[in-house]
Amino acid sequence: MATTTLEPRAGTYRRSWVIEWLTTVDHKKIGILYIVNSFLFFFAAGILALVIRTELAVPGLQIVDQATYNQAFTMHGTIMLFLFIIPALSGFGNYIVPLMLGAPDMAFPRINALSFWLLPLGGLLIFSGYLFGGAAAEGWTGYAPLTGQEYGTTPGTDLWIIGLTLVGTASILGAVNFIATIFKMRAPGMTLFRMPIFVWTVLVTAVLILLATPVLAAGLIALFIDRNYGGSFFDPTVGGNPILWQHIFWFFGHPEVYIVILPAMGVVSEILPVFSRKPLFGYKAFVFATIAIGLLSFSVWAHHMFTTGEVFLPFFAFMTALIAVPTGVKMFNWLATLWRGKLMLATPMLFALGFVSMFLIGGLSGVMLSSPPIDFHVQDTYFVVAHLHYVFFGGSVFGVFAATYYWFPKMTGRKLNEPLGKVHFWIHFIGFNLAFFPMHQLGLDGMPRRISDYSPDAGWTLLNFVSTIGAFMVAVSIIPFLINVIATFINGEPAGDDPWEGNTLEWATTSPPPPYNFDRLPPIHSERPLFFLTHGHGHAAERPADLEETEEEDVEHRGGLV
Amino acid sequence: MTSRTMQAHPAGEHEAAAVMQHGQSGMPTALVGMLLFIASEVMFFAGLFATYFNARASVGAGQWGPPEGAHELDLPLAAVLTAILVASSFTMQFGVWAIRRGDTGKLKLWTGITLALGALFLAGQLYDYSELGFGISDGVFGTTFYTLTGFHGAHVFGGTVGLTIVLARAMRGQFSARNHVAVEAVSMYWHFVDVVWIGVFSTIYLLR
Amino acid sequence: MLVLALAASGCLLPPDPATEAGQDVFNLYLLVLALAGIVFIGVEGFIIYAMLRYRRQPGDDVLPEQLHGNNTVEIIWTAIPTVIVLILFTFSVITLGEVEARADEPGATIEVEGFQWQWIFRYEEGATVTGAIGDPPTLLVPVGEPVRLVLTSLDVNHAFYVPQFLIKRDLIPVGEHGVPNELEFTVTEEGTYSGQCAEFCGDSHADMTFIVEAMPRAAYDEAIAALAAGEEPPTGDGGECEVNVEIKAENLAFDIDSFEVPADTAFCIAFENLENVPHNVAIYSGGDALFTGDILDTAGSVVYEVPALPAGEYRFICDVHPQDMVGDVTATE
Repeated sequence: MATTTLEPRAGTYRRSWVIEWLTTVDHKKIGILYIVNSFLFFFAAGILALVIRTELAVPGLQIVDQATYNQAFTMHGTIMLFLFIIPALSGFGNYIVPLMLGAPDMAFPRINALSFWLLPLGGLLIFSGYLFGGAAAEGWTGYAPLTGQEYGTTPGTDLWIIGLTLVGTASILGAVNFIATIFKMRAPGMTLFRMPIFVWTVLVTAVLILLATPVLAAGLIALFIDRNYGGSFFDPTVGGNPILWQHIFWFFGHPEVYIVILPAMGVVSEILPVFSRKPLFGYKAFVFATIAIGLLSFSVWAHHMFTTGEVFLPFFAFMTALIAVPTGVKMFNWLATLWRGKLMLATPMLFALGFVSMFLIGGLSGVMLSSPPIDFHVQDTYFVVAHLHYVFFGGSVFGVFAATYYWFPKMTGRKLNEPLGKVHFWIHFIGFNLAFFPMHQLGLDGMPRRISDYSPDAGWTLLNFVSTIGAFMVAVSIIPFLINVIATFINGEPAGDDPWEGNTLEWATTSPPPPYNFDRLPPIHSERPLFFLTHGHGHAAERPADLEETEEEDVEHRGGLV
Repeated sequence: MTSRTMQAHPAGEHEAAAVMQHGQSGMPTALVGMLLFIASEVMFFAGLFATYFNARASVGAGQWGPPEGAHELDLPLAAVLTAILVASSFTMQFGVWAIRRGDTGKLKLWTGITLALGALFLAGQLYDYSELGFGISDGVFGTTFYTLTGFHGAHVFGGTVGLTIVLARAMRGQFSARNHVAVEAVSMYWHFVDVVWIGVFSTIYLLR
Repeated sequence: MLVLALAASGCLLPPDPATEAGQDVFNLYLLVLALAGIVFIGVEGFIIYAMLRYRRQPGDDVLPEQLHGNNTVEIIWTAIPTVIVLILFTFSVITLGEVEARADEPGATIEVEGFQWQWIFRYEEGATVTGAIGDPPTLLVPVGEPVRLVLTSLDVNHAFYVPQFLIKRDLIPVGEHGVPNELEFTVTEEGTYSGQCAEFCGDSHADMTFIVEAMPRAAYDEAIAALAAGEEPPTGDGGECEVNVEIKAENLAFDIDSFEVPADTAFCIAFENLENVPHNVAIYSGGDALFTGDILDTAGSVVYEVPALPAGEYRFICDVHPQDMVGDVTATE
């Protein structure tokens, strides 16, 4: 008697890892692509920063000519903002948000992939200016008529416009994806007010991107028409208005800076509670403060234009000063989270605390800038350069590093080396302050920004030299970071599912997670579903007021926990 | 962690697939996506309108219009184009109602008519351009006129591409009463394009 | 570490203001700085305190009290900053009024034109000064009186910035329908102040410098009159020429009929026109003009900077009277 055994053909579906990574629509892989791509652009823009600082260390043009210098700071700003910080935070959002929501992926995985691949394409286009006679050289703000047909003759500017339009499109598609995911794909039980704070900040950021970036696109297209088709949008000699460019650009440009900072604030708001072993103080207040910042960010744009003489100063000064209030609320809530906590000062926590300290300084200089009379003195000087670096670098970039150290174990299954991380942090922190704090004084003393050289009689030499030393320190601090990342990839300590005793759902699955993310989800009754699971019912004070459980469920809940 | 609590919400691959398709409840995810995309497009046109109004405000009163020697704007033609586009929104909606009833035949009919009207609009627009006598490089009015109407026209074109795809899919029987998200999405986009045209028409031809 | 950086920085203060409104801005800044300092010390102090005081001890597994929030505290720390912000805003508006004040009768109104990459100053009395890269122009102003500047750009955006006045204003190219920006200030102390363009304007933005010189009214009037008459008012540097040739023109004739200069060396001609008849000095080789000096329409003097001449024989003439006013130039090795 013949027996026939039916055996499904056991073959593993395999394809080469190159094809896999090039064609993936998995949010986790796309997230990693975003992050790696961002860091590559970070290094490129960082080298440009070193060129700038080396040139400015002492008076006289030593290493570059004026045109090259102007390209350097233009590209530095453009790359750092559009190709490093926003995509890096977007990458973490891509990886982590679906996990935090208990979802299997983003709402539109293929559009997710498209969004990513537009980035290296756009970035290469922007950089390709160097191959065609000069990259864009009019500042990342590209003011007309300097960028117009008559005065902006470098082809690099056209490539900059096209590249940025692609990058902006990628952003907008990403925003659609995030909002749809957050509204449509939360696990059962996760009401909006039980979402992790990081998800809230990503949500508000996505709304800002959705509404502000298209306005930039309109402006860039208008500029392209002026440059190439004889348009008259911004050219005063044919009836156009240079100030119109500034309005359009900053209507986008100001929400842009909140797009840059809010996700980093979200990261910090995840890390501080975990490493203080307490919940985020004032979760709801934090959510409302984030929404308030998002709304207000559309009403302040002309504070970048106080010195044009064509802006209704009191309104914009008022709204700008007002935005300090919800920002302050966040700051106080972070401090209250630390208060009477039990702080674990691991590297993610150090970067998070660094964020809070440095962003505070940036915020205070921002309040100074919100006052038109003060702004008349320091606008377009190194005071503004100091301010923007304290919020972008001391804020967002510290947030990116915090996120990296925090979520690296989840993404790779290995923990980064702690001592090396601390070395990175301290050199980075000290170098950063050495580089940028003196710039406050340089601006107050009257050193304008975007100058390739300055007079030896100006009295600016010492502070510039100190600043350059700080910049090189920051560059050096990247070395332990890179060593750490590479060594950990090769031979790092396994992390396990939940190395930090986290609160949120990404830690309720393996490190790294399986392709479909979760085998099973824990019940969701608060914004800290994993905390509840780990620490159980504890005492009444731990249960948030909006816990809606019947008594039966409650008993089962208690009974089911070890 | 016992298995009992973890079983509260089984996930795994099967659940994953269901969630991906329909979201947890309410409006289909693809429609949410289209709505959000339309919101971004509204802001894009807002930027273009801003350039139009800014230019108009800075030119002297009574001097806002086509440059010397060019034709005046053809209001009657524009009115006809408006009627065509508004009608096409109605026909598009008839198509949506049809497929919600499961009537694929009527869906194809109304989609075809909408597509034809859209193409007619574009042809009319191009005819208007050829008669005008001024170009995008002829001063601020020329620049803002062509940019605003031109980008609107491009969006109409994008809509006709979407309509063509919907028509082709309908002819292959891919839609049913329960499964026709693409039709709803394209119709939303088409209505948006129509609303923007009403804005463009009112601003350029009526308000002046 | 931060304290060190602060100390090296120099106290975070703007320069001592040299204008009336500048003093108001300085005072406002002091107020804001003080508030910022308090917040800074409070918050950073708390962070450092928390890092030391609340550090988790090794082996301590007990959870701290799980505070979720406190509505009262939220209201307090929303309301107090709002009040502070409103106060700051009020003081800003008041100071803004002082900065933007316009006198009925300014002591001087000067047109400032910016172009890539220098400045033109046009005085009411007709004098005009144009700067060059490396040779910044001086803006002469009377001290103690309101000075109004009308700011126009001839090409792209620029900005007029004098750090010691704690003020800047953009120069926007406005085209036919636009109204140029204005800036008004009253300098309180005689002196020389440096200024620079503060709106990125292209390749040599860094070179777009200028100088402001404030002097008593009498000296100001004299200096402006001299400018208008074509003389150079006394400025800091001059006379960079190693070789100087002096030529005078009177009665339709030069006072010398030849001069000699070293070959391949730039030199200067100190030319003085002693009559109200137009004259200049120009140097020719055959029919080619190698150098053409500005014509002095009336009596006055000017220093011509002549580029280096290769060894050889040339002529110098007056372009207005080329038959009567001629001479020889020899450039020797």
